Amino acid sequence: MSNAATMRPGRPALPEWVRRLPEYLTIWVPLLLSAAHLVSFSLWTIWISFTPSTLVPVAGWVGLRNYTAVTASRNWQIAFDNLLLFGSAFVLLSAATGLILAILLDQRIRGENVLRSIFLYPLAVSFVVTGTVWSWLLNPGLGIQKLVHDLGWTSFKFDWLIDRDMAIWTIVIAAIWQSCGFAMALFLAGLRSVDPDIIKAAQIDGAGPVRTYRRIILPSLWPITVTVVVIQLQFAISTFDLVRALTNGGPGIATQLPALVVYDLMFQRSLLGRGAAAAVLMLLILLAVLLPYAAWRYIQRRRGAHA
Amino acid sequence: MPITTTRRRLLAGSAAALAFPHLARAQGAAKPRLTAISQWSAGSDGAAITALGKKFEEKGGVWQHSPVPGFTTEMMNKLRAQIMAGDPPACSQLKGPEIAAWSKIAPTVNLDALVAAAGYEKVVAPDLAKLHKPGGKWIALPLQIYSTNMLFLSKRAMDKAKADKVPVTWADFNDLAEKMKAGGVASPIANGGTRPDDGQKFEAALAGISPLAYRAAIMNLEKKALEGPEIKAAFAQVRKIADWMDPNVGAQHFSTNLKRFIDGDMGMMIMGGWAQGVLRNAGFKLEDFMIAPGPSDNGKPVFLLNADAFIFWQRKEADLQAGQTLMAQLVMDPAIQTMYSQITGSIPVRTDVDLSGEGWSEGQRTTSKALKEAIASNQAVLSMAHNMAQENGMTAAMIDVITEYVKNKTIKPEQAATRLAEAVEGAR
Repeated sequence: MSNAATMRPGRPALPEWVRRLPEYLTIWVPLLLSAAHLVSFSLWTIWISFTPSTLVPVAGWVGLRNYTAVTASRNWQIAFDNLLLFGSAFVLLSAATGLILAILLDQRIRGENVLRSIFLYPLAVSFVVTGTVWSWLLNPGLGIQKLVHDLGWTSFKFDWLIDRDMAIWTIVIAAIWQSCGFAMALFLAGLRSVDPDIIKAAQIDGAGPVRTYRRIILPSLWPITVTVVVIQLQFAISTFDLVRALTNGGPGIATQLPALVVYDLMFQRSLLGRGAAAAVLMLLILLAVLLPYAAWRYIQRRRGAHA
Repeated sequence: MPITTTRRRLLAGSAAALAFPHLARAQGAAKPRLTAISQWSAGSDGAAITALGKKFEEKGGVWQHSPVPGFTTEMMNKLRAQIMAGDPPACSQLKGPEIAAWSKIAPTVNLDALVAAAGYEKVVAPDLAKLHKPGGKWIALPLQIYSTNMLFLSKRAMDKAKADKVPVTWADFNDLAEKMKAGGVASPIANGGTRPDDGQKFEAALAGISPLAYRAAIMNLEKKALEGPEIKAAFAQVRKIADWMDPNVGAQHFSTNLKRFIDGDMGMMIMGGWAQGVLRNAGFKLEDFMIAPGPSDNGKPVFLLNADAFIFWQRKEADLQAGQTLMAQLVMDPAIQTMYSQITGSIPVRTDVDLSGEGWSEGQRTTSKALKEAIASNQAVLSMAHNMAQENGMTAAMIDVITEYVKNKTIKPEQAATRLAEAVEGAR
């Protein structure tokens, strides 16, 4: 773009800001619009959460009554416990699965591209599809259990989907299937970016492959691990469509998650005020994850600048 | 019959036009047009509303129906958005106490003149009429009625149980279920796993045990009734039903298992009359199953009312107003109600429609007879599971307790009764 002026010598050079106007327009206008969108609607939701709104938003002030009603409800309590369990199990297991897949793929094997596409493919499938497919697979009367029974092992039991205590794990399974490919891709990039000279040096020093991974390669992966964990955590907190298609919060209300509660309050029960309160609580949970991450990034950058 | 009803409709329409010249002028000036939203998009529901649209067009109207598939609440989200944008549809599906609640957030059309001209009030069950005229004015019109506690019996499962008698009381019902189990029916109860499914089992149990207790506890939310022995007895009956269901249904829709029901792999189904339309639409024969009123311990039929209705939102456009008038006349027309119910498997709202003719099934005649008897013995009550007895928030709070109880067999009936009373208090 800066060549444009030099190519037409007859004309006086345009001022810098005019020449860069298209850049400013393409970057700042959408950014400001989406930021305004996000911020204004968040503020609006926060306002609604303090009003007595039910069917439609109304003005008024009820203080924290919506918040106390939400936190006292069984639905929210179950959803919150489930979020802790689902969030930690999903994040740890999907990171671990992704890492193992990445290490296996990193062995310079044949057909790596094909395998990588296969593992990444679930990411291209919508959560509703994932949930529906797994709801059939995990249904004891139709899916895996029936298959094994038909093969002759009739005492085999795999009925987590309809078991109130285990149903939350079916969501963990489906979510890992969907997103471990993503973790794998990030880890694989990390593995490939380790300086080959260091690895060679380790080999010359006589370190075996296990030791090389444990002492040299894996420690250099930890910034990527943090990224994977944070991205997966914010996914876990906002999980909605997957659960809705897989268990719809059931059996009973055993697999409620906060996003389901928000939707249920706002749009099934027509209690906009309470739904907004639950949404604000979700935002707070999200901030509890994202703020430490932002702080960590800040500290990292300052250290980098000093070094 | 079609000729006389058409004439009656015309008479009613011209009477209204004479009495209310502004309506007539609106009709004369503009071609009637109707913007409508409903959840009815597919299956027998979709077919029925499409047929209604055809009739609307035959009368010279422009039919603009936008279906929102899924549960009723999803249709409501679109309605809410349109109302907040100041652009409500001329007419939308809405039912039960939600009619009163929603009528407070946007102006509705006063239909009193049209209802009077059609003589509609005389032929609608009083409990039902009340729901459609909050504040004393008709603003919505019921279109069709279902009972949510019809008992569907699989002929093949009955054969397996060597039984031919339709159960009348809950004790009969339980006996038959045991016989079916002994006769090799894998799951004596056919069922889905959705929230309204579970709610229906409870309301059928409670209303069948005591319609009085149902009215007091569920419709009037009386504290004493909510803690009464009938609630515990109803939960105990629900536990029995839950034990006879296929535990693998998960969160499936009831229609998923209809083939197993017809094959006699499942025996009995407590479901709304709409299941008949779904069965027929899925290609099953009427000879393969029987329909009877749900169990009632006093022997007289109990009818859990569920009625679909249209509410009319105020619009300034002359063509939409003319469309509303035409639509209201059509909805109240016995010929239209006949056409509609014959497609969906419901029964007409009008109590003066004769169901003996061709095109009506035995199940519909049974349902209609049950409704008349239930009204006579004051045993026609409003369905909780299908949002006729309470607004959505209260219904959802109750169903939370019920659905957890159905799926968690460690909860005792007494505990469930206490939780139900607590949930009602919390949602008040």
